[in-house]
Amino acid sequence: MERGDGAVKERLSALFVLLAAAVPGLLFAPVFGLWPLVLPIGAVLVGVYVAVELGLRVPALVSWRPLVGLVLGLLAVTWTELGATTAAGIPTGSTFRALADGVTRSWQLTLQSTWPARPDAQLILFIPLAVLVAAVLGVELRRWALAALAPSVVLLGLSQAYLAMSGRDAVLAALGFALVAGGLLAVSREAREHQATRRVGALTLIAPTVVLAVAGALVVTWADPVTPAISLRQNQSVPLPQARYTNPLDEIAERKLKPAAPVFTYRSDAPVELWRITVLDRFDGATWLPSQNYRWMGATIAPTGAVTVPVKEFSATVQYPHPDGPWLPSQLLPYAVSGVAPLIDEETGVLQLNGKPAGPVDYKLSWREPVISGPELNKRGIDAHAESGLGGVGAIPPTLSDIAEKAVGNRRASFQTASELSRFLSKNYRLATGKNLPTGAGLPQLQAFLEQSHIGTSQQFAAAYVVLARSLGIPARIAVGYHGVPPGPDGISVVHNDDVFAWPEVAVEGVGWVPLDPTESAKGATSKSSGGLAAAAAAARDSLPPPDQLEDPELPPTPQASAAQGGRRSIEVPWVVVAVVLVALILLVLFSVPLLKVVRGRRRRRLTGARGVVAAWTEARDLLRAHGVPVTSGMTVRELAEAARPFGDSLHAALLRLAELVDAVLWSGGAAPPEAVPAAWASVKQVRKGLAGRGARHRVRAALHLDSLRPLGLPTIVGSRASAGRLPA
Amino acid sequence: MSKPSPYEVYERISNNVQTVVRGKPQVVRLAVAALLAEGHVLVEDVPGLGKTTLARCLARSIGGTWSRIQFTPDLLPGDITGVQVYHQKVERFEFHSGGVFANVVLADEINRGTPKTQSALLEVMSERTVTVDSVRHEVPRPFLVIATQNPIEMEGTYRLPEAQLDRFLMRLQVGYPDLDAEIMIIMSDCAGVSPDELNPVVSLADLQQAVAQVRAAHVDRVICQYAARLADATRNHVDLRYGASPRGSIALVRAAQAIAATHNRGFVTPDDIKEVALPVLGHRLILTSDAELNQRSATSIVEEVLAATPAPTMSATGG
Repeated sequence: MERGDGAVKERLSALFVLLAAAVPGLLFAPVFGLWPLVLPIGAVLVGVYVAVELGLRVPALVSWRPLVGLVLGLLAVTWTELGATTAAGIPTGSTFRALADGVTRSWQLTLQSTWPARPDAQLILFIPLAVLVAAVLGVELRRWALAALAPSVVLLGLSQAYLAMSGRDAVLAALGFALVAGGLLAVSREAREHQATRRVGALTLIAPTVVLAVAGALVVTWADPVTPAISLRQNQSVPLPQARYTNPLDEIAERKLKPAAPVFTYRSDAPVELWRITVLDRFDGATWLPSQNYRWMGATIAPTGAVTVPVKEFSATVQYPHPDGPWLPSQLLPYAVSGVAPLIDEETGVLQLNGKPAGPVDYKLSWREPVISGPELNKRGIDAHAESGLGGVGAIPPTLSDIAEKAVGNRRASFQTASELSRFLSKNYRLATGKNLPTGAGLPQLQAFLEQSHIGTSQQFAAAYVVLARSLGIPARIAVGYHGVPPGPDGISVVHNDDVFAWPEVAVEGVGWVPLDPTESAKGATSKSSGGLAAAAAAARDSLPPPDQLEDPELPPTPQASAAQGGRRSIEVPWVVVAVVLVALILLVLFSVPLLKVVRGRRRRRLTGARGVVAAWTEARDLLRAHGVPVTSGMTVRELAEAARPFGDSLHAALLRLAELVDAVLWSGGAAPPEAVPAAWASVKQVRKGLAGRGARHRVRAALHLDSLRPLGLPTIVGSRASAGRLPA
Repeated sequence: MSKPSPYEVYERISNNVQTVVRGKPQVVRLAVAALLAEGHVLVEDVPGLGKTTLARCLARSIGGTWSRIQFTPDLLPGDITGVQVYHQKVERFEFHSGGVFANVVLADEINRGTPKTQSALLEVMSERTVTVDSVRHEVPRPFLVIATQNPIEMEGTYRLPEAQLDRFLMRLQVGYPDLDAEIMIIMSDCAGVSPDELNPVVSLADLQQAVAQVRAAHVDRVICQYAARLADATRNHVDLRYGASPRGSIALVRAAQAIAATHNRGFVTPDDIKEVALPVLGHRLILTSDAELNQRSATSIVEEVLAATPAPTMSATGG
């Protein structure tokens, strides 16, 4: 019977350990989604449990259990995630290579991906493997419940380092893990061996921690729901290959010389205004460069808080037969790509492959687009926090600054000002046509364009616009791509070289980046009827009154960011968080001090023999200490009784009885009689009664008396030579 | 008839002494404890507080012999220890014992004796023997020296050497009585109560038996550690040139054994150590010049050491 009980407890503790490993594994749900994790983790745990069961049924296998568990767990991972690499379920060399990659690379690839990440084996593999290790270690360490939990706790920390949970999810996760940990502690061998003190000690530590964690998570989430959690992912990006490609901005003139050459085709569910190839936001005075902050495109990209206006979703299938670079035609806010596994720059929407593709590329692109009217756009301010749109202009020639001021006057930075600048360029400059097209977008070329020739391609228009806008404090950047084209009879739109286009984009508050077309008067409005963001920007420009009647829109005060000043942000003190922390600390003291005293008293009460009597004495001493009796470590019970005489004769007498017990038990050389401990605690009860007669103010102060929780330190003898060196001369 | 327990011995002597020495129960307790520990007592205080009376009462309360030596500057060592006298009839030297050959020796005004004379007590106080002309003579047991001295009078006195002070188990200070006690003292004097009226209440054999039982009282190792730590703390005190010697630690424990007997206990507690710490250690501490200039006293230093040394809370056996 006893053996049967033991086996049941073995199974129970193993199940709790496996659950403890499963919980942190499933906490990677924000990274991959929940369902892609359930199958591999579940399979791993089944494998490890089978090893446990084998150990129970075949005792000879117990010493081999970790190995058996690892092998079965790896097989489970192979069958659930790496089926394609096996031959009829039997692992091959590819399987082992994939497993090795899972250990060495998958965690990093996941950090380099947008989240939720694609649940591909090469990314997700490290999670079931980590769960496997935690489960196997936990099973082998079951003898010590806390040690068995340690691998799971490490995994828990890892999952939270990837993306810390908050709010309700964090509360549920904390409760789930605490439940499993509590179950494991309850059935652990420690409990069987009556090491109740340690168990209670562990629970004493865990319970308030969980409660505080849950309360803290709730409060912090309530107080600050916007600030994203800290994540290991924050500074991760995919290192791009070193191969150099021609900057698409510099190819515009060349493409215009071969206008009929097709580039790619697409079929979309709505007219497309612009296809972006790349976005250039860094400028050193001569060259415009794209950002290098790419991640692997995950399963989907969630909407960001930067766009507060309504958005519409669109999709298109793109066929790119002869890619001449790594870039893929994309949109401003793509949220899903299928057919290829591209890299994405979430800030610009640029898609690119990790290297130039060898053959044709077909893919489906889904994207979102803000919906806003032209007049509404004119009422918007610029997004001063879009700092990437302000950097890199440096010291621009004064003549260009003069042109910018001439274009918009002394108006504050707003979309209306941006639109006015676009109107200024379109009215005063002409789009170049013919064979001798100007090239280059460095400052000398832009000076020639703006001050002398007044003729340029969209390359010069866009670059000039961005330089002028940035000098006015308007965040702007250059996008390079193609105009959308109307579909043919078969519904397929064919984009040619002639559609190549560079356009400026400005950051608008609540809308995001809005494309402008300063070449409009020269080329003609091709996309006004599409109803997209570019059309809205064109409508906004058309609705502008004449320049001399322009008035600044009523905007909330925003920090005036200027290119010269680098757009410095004010430092916001998180007062709410500070207040929450303070309140939490106060609550911690209010509740934990009396709670810890109760727990300490209960632990003392469990002691037997002489230790039980001494525990009663220390309890009485700490009670009186909390009530302000000057207690030193040099005090005996009788001295304490004398010190406590002002609290009444009954308390004094109780302490004297306790003193007799302590003397008899400790110093008589005989064994402590069994009735000594209850008698000692009866004296403590009398002491409590004596103290209960004090006023409520005194009792509350005593309950919260933090110092009486500390063990009595050794006082320093004032004149001791050991301390003499520390005394002031 | 069974032998009285140490507590009964204490009770009898204490009650007997307190019929004359009024209002000083703690001083009497300590003095009787010293008797039970077979240790010598130095009673020190200003004149007229009953030092000699206390010593005489103690001496009269036990059934053994007692002698009184009045220390004066012309007192010679031979007067204390005894001398070899040539006996013409038998034509040989015979030993004539001095005042120390008694169970209780009252050395009154001990600091009026010259250091040479005082030193005559060194051997007998520590070894209970007297050596005269290379011949050892044992004094009767139990042997107890009760000395008195007046600490404020400097004229015609000689400060006790440290070696001699260290041989006293305790130094007691009688102190002024309170008003009620003083009235009682006056009334007793009027009624003719004097130490000479006291009768022995304990036989020599009973006292020796009690002394042996006190020596057998249980002392936990942790208590010994505590005593040693207290002594050690005095050695490391910046205000002290010399702290308590190991003889001081031993005296502390022996006195605590005796004080435990006065509480009717057969074992020593930290409270016992604390109770005797001041009378046992106080006269063994030698203050630095700076400390004396700063008006520090041995009493305050012992109290400081007691407050700062943690009392043990668990015996060596854990029980």
